Amino acid sequence: MSSAATDDATKAPSKDGNSAPEQNKRSPSDFLKAVLGRPVNVRLSSGTDYRGVLACLDGYMNIAMEQTEEYVDGQLTSKYGDCFIRGNNGKQCLSERNFSINL
Amino acid sequence: MSNRILPLELIDKAIGSPIWILMRGQTELTGILRGFDDYVNLVLDDAVEYSPDPRDKSVVVKKELKAEILLNGNHVAVLVPGGTGPEDSMAARST
Repeated sequence: MSSAATDDATKAPSKDGNSAPEQNKRSPSDFLKAVLGRPVNVRLSSGTDYRGVLACLDGYMNIAMEQTEEYVDGQLTSKYGDCFIRGNNGKQCLSERNFSINL
Repeated sequence: MSNRILPLELIDKAIGSPIWILMRGQTELTGILRGFDDYVNLVLDDAVEYSPDPRDKSVVVKKELKAEILLNGNHVAVLVPGGTGPEDSMAARST
């Protein structure tokens, strides 16, 4: 009742987590596998955004990006061809985004 | 004994339902929890971020992220399963 089931992914939360169907559950590593090579938006905890194509990343969440654009307070401040973001920079979130449509 | 619930079990039960996340600092997020790992990195759908405006910290800016996101667990402070965000709790406080 409280959580209106909007699509099939939200219905029937299984009692035992381990047997949950794949589409119901997406761990962070599944997410990262899915967005590798895709356009992403990486936000540091400072609020700075880096938008580009995710080339690779490791267990520290160090990130290599291509065609990177740096946005401070939403304003484009610089562009980098290749860029490395050290993992401990307090990344806040990484979102998959279809730039050609949304931005 | 058997009615003891581990913290991560509680979060596991919240998968597929709305969750409210309070970060260290003033940022809060809501969204549908899709998954998490041992670091409490979170995958969220339909995430909405509530963060203080960089120029005027007393103003909270609401931003719909409009994508599936990965939230780094580093700054996660509190998780509220079923929580729908600061707007509801503000309303509750004012009554």
